[in-house]
Amino acid sequence: MKLDLHSEMILEVYRTSLPIYEKLLSIVLERMRQCLNDNHLHIAGLESRIKAEDSLTNKLELKGYKYKTISDITDIVGLRVVTFFSDEVDVISALVEKMFEIDWDNSVDKRKMLEIDRFGYMSLHYICRVPETMYHDPDMPQLNQIRFELQMRSMLQHMWANMYHDMGYKSDVEIPKEYQRNMNRLAGMLELADEQFSRIRKEINNYRRNVQSLVASGDFDDVPLNGDTFRSYLELQPFKRLTEKIAGINQAEIYEDSLDPYYQVLLRMGMRTIGDVERLRKKYTDGAYQLALIQLAGTGLDIVASSVALQNICIVAILKQGFGEGGLIRLFAALYGENDYNIQRAQRLIEQAKKINLV
Amino acid sequence: MKVTINKQNEKTLVTLEGRVDSTNAEQFQQDIAPLMEGDGSDIDIDCTGMTYTSSQGLRVFLLLQKSVMAHQGTMVMRNMDSRVKEVFDITGFSNIITIL
Repeated sequence: MKLDLHSEMILEVYRTSLPIYEKLLSIVLERMRQCLNDNHLHIAGLESRIKAEDSLTNKLELKGYKYKTISDITDIVGLRVVTFFSDEVDVISALVEKMFEIDWDNSVDKRKMLEIDRFGYMSLHYICRVPETMYHDPDMPQLNQIRFELQMRSMLQHMWANMYHDMGYKSDVEIPKEYQRNMNRLAGMLELADEQFSRIRKEINNYRRNVQSLVASGDFDDVPLNGDTFRSYLELQPFKRLTEKIAGINQAEIYEDSLDPYYQVLLRMGMRTIGDVERLRKKYTDGAYQLALIQLAGTGLDIVASSVALQNICIVAILKQGFGEGGLIRLFAALYGENDYNIQRAQRLIEQAKKINLV
Repeated sequence: MKVTINKQNEKTLVTLEGRVDSTNAEQFQQDIAPLMEGDGSDIDIDCTGMTYTSSQGLRVFLLLQKSVMAHQGTMVMRNMDSRVKEVFDITGFSNIITIL
């Protein structure tokens, strides 16, 4: 491969500038990660690269005449943010605009350039610089002048782009006509899927907000029991007092653990609304404490899991409702899996329950 | 309390014998400290010979469990005597630690 003298000179500048490109990339990556973290944004991926010499040579061979100097090549340092949802691209781009200096003349929103039959390469491409207010090294002043490319796209757009590329096509090269129809169908499906994912997520977020306010209002009978409502209910810490009371038996430390496994247990116990769970809590709290008292008093065990309160409530409810040993075995199977020890567990509990007249 | 640690491929087998209580919980924690450095491997604890655990022992098991989970590993305790299991049950620790 033979380059003209002008392109050779550009390539030489590239080689001597590599340490600056590496520094620039490390700064941009660090700031991007920090920014995503600060804004609690979970993304599918953050990719980065410095254009390899081979790739730059190809570019110069094809269109070296377009570039007066190396600074006209804006993608030597490149990053790509891949979001889970298409609407997050706008959130990320707004943050990028605040962080970096954007070269608007050379930035492209390919999402707005689309032909009606295109889906892939719908990325948002920003050409940026690191402002001196963000980073400045007097020994490396060029760093603030070098432009880099930051692409932002959703996971489905990313998938399309990768598949397209893997088949040997670039964005500006048309796929053979005989395959175009099927590609267009797929493009439409992916775009629709991208939109639907964003819409469903918005609706779920709205639903969760509504549930939170409904639970907070205390109209528990109007709130169906499901994973979201149970989580909102737990935010009210309904079992905290009982847990503290149980811990008080041995002045024990409380280890906060998850009550998530109890959601399925409560459903199996016939709870249909948060109101049902609340009634269960009120009705069996005393029994649950009595059970803990007989089990823990005098043992010197001074650590308890916070789940012990709901665990005991469920045990007492099962016994009081007359489901006996079988009911307890089913409870333990749901919590800890099927095993022979569950029978022993149940029998031991029934003996303890007899002492406090729970059965 | 006797602790034996054996590494087998991706799994670490730990065998416990005797009591874990206030007199030896600190030593027990030191013995299993290498497991907390975390290489993401799964830990299988054989409790056949374990006769008792106090709260101090529960705390050490909890520390180990948290450390293993932080390194994307798993921890199970098996062959536990029913009297020891009772300690885990009445403190709610059976909800935290997988006992087979």
